[in-house]
Amino acid sequence: MKSYLDLVPISQKANRRQSRMVRICIILSVFLITAIFGMADMEIRSQNAQAKINYGEWHAGFRSVSDHEAALISQRPKVLAATRYDTLNYRLTMHYQVEGTEAVILGMDEDALNIFPTAELVEGSFPEEEGGVVIDQNMRERLSLELGDEISLMTPEGTEKTYHVTGFWGQFPMLAVKDVFGVAMRTEDFRNLSLAGSENNYDSCLYVKFSSRCNIQKEIKEIQKQFQIPEEQVNRNELLLATIGQSQDVSMMAIYAVALVLAFLVAVAGILMIAGSLNSNVAQRTVFFGMLRCLGASQKQVIRFVRKEALYWCRSAVPEGVLLGTVMVWALSALLRALSPSYFGELPCFGISFIGIFAGVVIGVITVCLAAQSPARKAAQVSPLVAASGNASNRKKIRKAANTRFYGIETGLGVHHALGSRKNFILMACSFAFSIILFLTFSVTVDFMKHAVNPLKPSAPDVSIISPDNSCSLDKNLSRELMSMDGVKRAFGRSFAYDVPVRTQAGERQAYLISYEDFQMEWAKDSLIEGSFSELTEGEAVLAVYKGEDSLQAGEEITMDFQGEKSLLKVAGVLSDCPFSATEGQDILICSEDTFTSLTGEKAYTIIDVQLTRNAGDHVIQRIRALGGENAAFSDRRLNNEEVKGAVWSLRLFIYGFLGVIMLISAFHIMNSIAMSVSARIRQYGAMRAVGMDSGQMLKMVAAEAVTYGIWGVIIGCGLGLPLSRLCFENLITMRWGTEWRFPIVPLCVIIMVMVCSLAFAVYSPARRIRDLSVVDTISGR
Amino acid sequence: MEILKVQNLSKVYGQGEGQVKALQNVSFSMEKGEFAAVVGESGSGKSTLLNLVGGLDLPTGGKVFLDGMDLFELNEKERTVFRRRNIGFIFQAFHLIEELDVEQNIAFPLLLDHQKPDQERLEELLGLLGLKERRKHLPSQLSGGQQQRVAIGRALLMQPMLILADEPTGNLDSKSSRDVMDLLIQAAGRYQQTILMITHNDNLAADADRVLRVSDGYLKDMGGKAHEKLS
Repeated sequence: MKSYLDLVPISQKANRRQSRMVRICIILSVFLITAIFGMADMEIRSQNAQAKINYGEWHAGFRSVSDHEAALISQRPKVLAATRYDTLNYRLTMHYQVEGTEAVILGMDEDALNIFPTAELVEGSFPEEEGGVVIDQNMRERLSLELGDEISLMTPEGTEKTYHVTGFWGQFPMLAVKDVFGVAMRTEDFRNLSLAGSENNYDSCLYVKFSSRCNIQKEIKEIQKQFQIPEEQVNRNELLLATIGQSQDVSMMAIYAVALVLAFLVAVAGILMIAGSLNSNVAQRTVFFGMLRCLGASQKQVIRFVRKEALYWCRSAVPEGVLLGTVMVWALSALLRALSPSYFGELPCFGISFIGIFAGVVIGVITVCLAAQSPARKAAQVSPLVAASGNASNRKKIRKAANTRFYGIETGLGVHHALGSRKNFILMACSFAFSIILFLTFSVTVDFMKHAVNPLKPSAPDVSIISPDNSCSLDKNLSRELMSMDGVKRAFGRSFAYDVPVRTQAGERQAYLISYEDFQMEWAKDSLIEGSFSELTEGEAVLAVYKGEDSLQAGEEITMDFQGEKSLLKVAGVLSDCPFSATEGQDILICSEDTFTSLTGEKAYTIIDVQLTRNAGDHVIQRIRALGGENAAFSDRRLNNEEVKGAVWSLRLFIYGFLGVIMLISAFHIMNSIAMSVSARIRQYGAMRAVGMDSGQMLKMVAAEAVTYGIWGVIIGCGLGLPLSRLCFENLITMRWGTEWRFPIVPLCVIIMVMVCSLAFAVYSPARRIRDLSVVDTISGR
Repeated sequence: MEILKVQNLSKVYGQGEGQVKALQNVSFSMEKGEFAAVVGESGSGKSTLLNLVGGLDLPTGGKVFLDGMDLFELNEKERTVFRRRNIGFIFQAFHLIEELDVEQNIAFPLLLDHQKPDQERLEELLGLLGLKERRKHLPSQLSGGQQQRVAIGRALLMQPMLILADEPTGNLDSKSSRDVMDLLIQAAGRYQQTILMITHNDNLAADADRVLRVSDGYLKDMGGKAHEKLS
């Protein structure tokens, strides 16, 4: 042994049980921090990937800049890529067509391939010369095109332009949904096509991708200043900028602020946990520190000893916590991949989050060092007399006798154990409160998720066949035929009648009348907010969809007018929502197929939605398209659905994962805290048992102590957590969607339930330990 | 009247080569109101004997009867309740409850039984112990001698049949030791209680009616004022 500090590992071996508890606390704290920061990192990466897929990898777009200015901007050292970009027939109102199908025309530079990941070529190359185009997969398959083939583009003016295919893209969700073609060409060709090549007659945008290491906002400002581009001509890809921490958008800044508050709370929770355990550990070893002082150790040396001990624990506990946190992140990544393989296929299964690890190690070690300060000072202040007299009790702290007048002796003692030492009580109650504060503030993100992402409804179709001109012309047998096809999970149709005059007691209005078959009726039941479905199947009744104060009421009688024939109907119920929207002021009324036919005389569908089985391939799509016939429009929403599912799952897993980790940590922390509190008093409990306290009374005493911490934890937690939750809610949600904060009764009940269950476990386990311990051993301090 | 009967009591710690026979076939009995001192070297098995007689520990073999009740026939809970009603403990380290004042500490076993202490008796005991003025003091506000007097009060209030004292004066100076012993004998005598006390102090052992010597786990009755039979 070279130094007194070499005693540290020896002392830790001797106090294995106490050391184990501190180590568990450090592991849990580091785990919490690594998991939360790691998950946040993964979520940011996933959001970053989503932003790139959905909006492109550009950081800023400058509208109406000249070619000369565009060239200058592209040559700036911090610009990685820049492309001019413009579209024709984006809303399908201009009628550019290829082989009778609407085509969206895109004009761009080659750099677009680097800026829009969805524009990545699967074959061929971007046109280098005049007359070359890149087309999408859908167009390639439907027109059986190969590289070098020619296509004829019909312009709205009726002229035909011929281009040759130089490359192919993959599938575009937006094009698939509308069942249209996508044709991309060089900006020069695009201009020739659009308006006789006049540079001033187009409104293209220059999309710029900057180096992510530079200050992008500063670069944008400099470009604006140099080329005198006003703010309204600048677009920013806020989501992408936010994921790399470069957004200055007010709502994004609010999200950053909330993230900072949450990160701070997580760090504080870690500090509280470790500080509590170290304090308790030192309190249990006062005789040892007294002995060190007795043998000549100075106060400074004792402080150094305790610090070294804390760092010694870090040596194994920090890597273990980091490993646990990383495994948790891996598990979540694997889950995301399993839930939405096409969307998260790129997410590494065993990805390492350096941010998570860094945060875990740094905050873990710093937390331990900070948390060791106070116990180290406390240990240094232990009088050498403590060792000499063998009297290790912490008497100075007790100022008042326990109250045995209002409670039984065991309850009175338990409450006093909790309240006796003010510092310990504050530490314990605050750490309990922290669980509530963390949970309440994090649960705001659940509301944020509900506002930010619309989950895929059970009725969402993968593909749809739509009748031409939205008339009722799709034979109902087609739906039955589709239903019997391999690869089809469900097929269901709807008939639409538009602008139907409706008379109510309040006056005249217009409505969409939509028929539902059994599947849709079943799904709609979840949205029923008033009335019932029973009358609907009996006929002569409809369901209304809620549209604010002006909505129809359940029970109300209405008269519908179909080509002069009036029908009296009852509003059987009101739905909160439906998957369709009507034009402003129009009602949406839903009825059974029989009612629809009897009212309108129409027996066919307007639209047939098809849901596919998991393994349905493209051949199924081709067959469905063929069944629909030449005239019917076809909409493929699979990619779109995958995007929605991916976004929902990612956010859901991230947020519920966070809440799960917090609940887990709260439970562990509560159990560990009570176990440590019991360990610290084990000798006293031995004496109590010796003079006749039975195990039931012991349990009651420990429970009273735990419940006291719990009650105060809830009071402090609610006192601080509710305003913080409100603040976060207002920053994250009210500011964007206007929804007012409401008392978070569900999250509060959930965390209190978790606390109650943890307390029950926390009490039961140490009480059993005391019962099983030998009285003789405990009173003799063995 | 026989209050305590110990039959072939043995206690072995550990197994195999590390086995330690702390007590071997110890038998003796005590009459009501009798005061016996247990003496012996450190590690001879005195405390083991006291712990077994008090039901704090389980023997490897043998029986302990208190007022005819076999302590080890009772389950843990029954034994605990029996202990608090019938056995008073006085420890060398006092083992008072730090969070309770003098009065509450003395009444502790009664409070555990959900009974209210008889105020008259408590007053009498506080007077006897010389703690009337300090009844609301916490243990940390008392001297060692005063704390041990509180521990004696705690052992006496329930009027147990048997008082077990493990070196009750071990932590006290000679003056306090003498006071505490006088008090213990006086109080136990008044309530006709049986005392089994471990001590290293020959002078204190001399006060006892009988002296029991424990050596290497064996017990030898050294006799004394009452000249009881040897085990």
